[in-house]
Amino acid sequence: MDNTPFNAWKLVSLSPLPVWGLVVLGVGLALGIGLAAWGVRREPSMRRRWLLWTLRLGAGLAALFFLLEPGIRNLQVARMKNRVAVLVDRSASMNFPVEPGGETRSEQVADFLEKATPGLAALQDRYTVEVYGFDPELAPLTTEAVAREPARAGSTDLLSALRTAAAGAQGAKKLSGVLLVSDGADNVELAGGAVGRARAALADLEVPVSTFLVGKEALKDLAVQRVKVDDFAFVRNSLTVEVEVSGRGFGGEEVPVVLRQEGKVVASKSVRFESSDDVRTVGFTFTPDQTGRFVYTVSMPVFPDEAVGENNTRSFVLKVIRDRVRVLLVVGRPSWDERFLRGLLRQDANVDLVSFYILRTMSDDPGVVSQERELSLIPFPMEEIFDTKLDTFDVVIFQNFGYADQALSIAQYERNLERYVYEGGAFVMIGGDSVLGEGRASMPTLGEALPVEPAGPANAEPFQARLTAEGLRHPVTAMASGASSTESAWASLPTIPGANLTRPKPGATVLMDHPFLTVDGKNAPLVAVWDYGRGRALALATDASWNWAFTAHRDGSPDRTYDRFWGNALRWLVRDPDLTTLKVTADPASVEPGKPVGVVVSSRLSDYQPAEGAAVRVELVAVAVETQKPVAVRTGVTGPDGVVRLEFEPPAPGPYKLLATAKKGEQELGKGEDAVAVRAVGPELSDASVRPALMEQIAEYTRGKAWRLPLDGLPEVPLLEPPVVEVGRAKDRPLWDRWYYLLALVGLLGAEWFLRRRFGYV
Amino acid sequence: MLVPLLSGRASAFGEKSRFIPAVARHGGRWDARLSGLRRIAWELQRRTSVEVVPDARPFALSSRDLFEYPFLYLGGDGPLPPFTDAEVENLRRYLTFGGFLLADANDGSDGEGFDASFRRELARVLPQSPLKPLPSSHVVFKSFFLLDSAPGRLLNKPQLLAANIGKRAAVVYSQNDVAGAWSRSELGDFEYDVSPGGEPQRELAVRLGVNLCMYALCLDYKDDAVHLPLILNKRR
Repeated sequence: MDNTPFNAWKLVSLSPLPVWGLVVLGVGLALGIGLAAWGVRREPSMRRRWLLWTLRLGAGLAALFFLLEPGIRNLQVARMKNRVAVLVDRSASMNFPVEPGGETRSEQVADFLEKATPGLAALQDRYTVEVYGFDPELAPLTTEAVAREPARAGSTDLLSALRTAAAGAQGAKKLSGVLLVSDGADNVELAGGAVGRARAALADLEVPVSTFLVGKEALKDLAVQRVKVDDFAFVRNSLTVEVEVSGRGFGGEEVPVVLRQEGKVVASKSVRFESSDDVRTVGFTFTPDQTGRFVYTVSMPVFPDEAVGENNTRSFVLKVIRDRVRVLLVVGRPSWDERFLRGLLRQDANVDLVSFYILRTMSDDPGVVSQERELSLIPFPMEEIFDTKLDTFDVVIFQNFGYADQALSIAQYERNLERYVYEGGAFVMIGGDSVLGEGRASMPTLGEALPVEPAGPANAEPFQARLTAEGLRHPVTAMASGASSTESAWASLPTIPGANLTRPKPGATVLMDHPFLTVDGKNAPLVAVWDYGRGRALALATDASWNWAFTAHRDGSPDRTYDRFWGNALRWLVRDPDLTTLKVTADPASVEPGKPVGVVVSSRLSDYQPAEGAAVRVELVAVAVETQKPVAVRTGVTGPDGVVRLEFEPPAPGPYKLLATAKKGEQELGKGEDAVAVRAVGPELSDASVRPALMEQIAEYTRGKAWRLPLDGLPEVPLLEPPVVEVGRAKDRPLWDRWYYLLALVGLLGAEWFLRRRFGYV
Repeated sequence: MLVPLLSGRASAFGEKSRFIPAVARHGGRWDARLSGLRRIAWELQRRTSVEVVPDARPFALSSRDLFEYPFLYLGGDGPLPPFTDAEVENLRRYLTFGGFLLADANDGSDGEGFDASFRRELARVLPQSPLKPLPSSHVVFKSFFLLDSAPGRLLNKPQLLAANIGKRAAVVYSQNDVAGAWSRSELGDFEYDVSPGGEPQRELAVRLGVNLCMYALCLDYKDDAVHLPLILNKRR
């Protein structure tokens, strides 16, 4: 037998009647009272009327009492223990000192938790108190661990931590409240404050969150908060980098902000912080003059009393690409070959074409009185295009351009052109009757940059151009993914009426050749390419490739081989990154502090097949002003797809280059490079400030309370009451079965009856 | 008499590298201006750096060989019978993929004769590209000589008409018998009088011919930004 005493009671109805029966009787009673009142409504004496009404109402209530049969139910009940979650911020910003030279924020938390221990223990009779650290995953935490283990998380996500804690309340134990201990430096959902959806999400928690702010606002710190820049920029086009810098404790001071490209200063500005807690935006406008991937660094000086110095620098990687390939087309004279190449280049949105044609030589007689007024000709600006502006072109094309006349000879600019190619430019020589051994202008200096040299008189017999084995896979002549479709594309083209006779130089790659015209026992080249110094050159030993563009359509079906050939050639000449044999890609391009530097190297043979089993060597080189210092080397072997991924130990923050070489046997497979930025601080450490306003908002929107540390103990925090549940037995004790209740009912009815008779009512 | 002007330097590549006008052989009187075409080729050689073969090669409009000659002359004196479907299709492809057609009303007609027939047939060949007047700012008027008008043997219409494919004038049409002004007999005399302007008008017609050939060869070269300031200055 259970002898546990009852610890709760409640009033209940013990009537055996069903609810609907009680309702019917109750309605009947109400009607009786109402009709009685209606019957005496004309009674002139207010006193009598009220007396009768009161007696009838009292009798009605007494009758209702007997109908309901009220009783006391004695109960044994118990309270469920709900949970209270203490969430401690374990993000890296908690390692900042509360004040310069003082204890860290985590140490301040540990101190608070220790002092709050009695208060938390006092909650234990009604709640289960659970202490978690969030980094950003929730994990049980002890006070000792808070003090001993440094906080490491790279981000602060308060809302996620609160959601996780609330989601854990789906079981038997519900969450009655949260004690959130943090510096409020959220950099995820609440980075912009508790507004909009974030505010609604806080309210949806339906749990009071009491916040305890750690740290002080008075810390002195400069930080590069944000860099706004696109992932890529166009070479020779100005771009603006917007940098958001914050200064706390630097009110009225001017601080220099410098933008560097791999150590070299690109731009610098001064920023003046107007208040002691100010954020300013600085715009740097500059014009990249080279394509490639580069690491840029924005930095401010580190002052001795700053809370954290690492956040004064921020690096980012910028990919500089061509907006349009700038092509200089120099034409010896108007021809169909020129017409179709021009038509193609002009309609290519990726090409910015600048062209100069020799429309008239000194031997031509236009038959005019005034050349100035009657002809549209302009002087050939040789000095401008072959000297001062030469470097502004990505590709220079000579189309049957070769004059020995003093007025049109470029002899004095040949070395410029040769150097232009050697130092990274691109050059195309298209044949004809004035070049490649024909005509009187031999251009020997410029010829040094060409992959072919004259080998005899041109041959005017029509021929079908033939693709070589190298041409089958080379990006200039490969027309499709498969070798057979490339072959059939070229084979379907019409014959070409004539070619210059040339000889390939050692190191040149012949992509197409002549089927029967030979040089030194080998088929004469028609299309040949090579790398010359840092540049590239292509020779096309005919002036009749326009037949591929026009004559090819005589049988009806459109043919784009000519368009693709020139499109491919331009991409290859300007070293389109997708066409290099050794492709180096930092993975990722921007590395968070403490993370390894990854690099993916994709190697191809000279015929552009994947280079399986190639030995790859990658050097990680720190880039500083005017110097490059090797930091580490990794080697690997490519797989069947010609790709290998290598990883470097986390290096010190800063800009780096990844310089790769590959070899297969004794064959060099080329060089490649990429840039990688190793960041000094992640988003977590870029701002040392505390955010009391956010912590107060969280408390307000969840009906909690906000405090600031230090505190000497746990204050009274709002918590939801734990629910009560019945356990064990219950016992009913009737209240209605007393004789005096019956006497009261009879008395009230009798008194009313008596008075109605007395006042003259029936 | 034309030969001495021709350079021998292009011979190594054969004649296919040179400018050779093709002539459309149609059902009407197509061959009235062959000497004019030879003459304009010769003028082109004499006055510019272009290498030519001073010939006029006739081809049926349905011929696939047309695609070796990107400059095509289509003239006529009087009405033409309708083109066959094969001719329409071949000419459309020729123009679409880069060919240039100079149409010339040798009869100076307007609304009848060659004019009516040509407009009818061109509407079949390029239904999406109606003939429109070429503005005086068009590159045809500055492709070599600076010109203000488009005279031929006649001066019936001050303007040329053109049918564009994209931005390119694929067809240029003169109602002034421009080739009539170029034509010479085998003795070297001009075959037709030029009116109303006489010999100065003939010279302008020759210059127009040179410009038309230059346009076919160089497209909009003279519209390039590097030329504009100088040309505008000359036109002042």
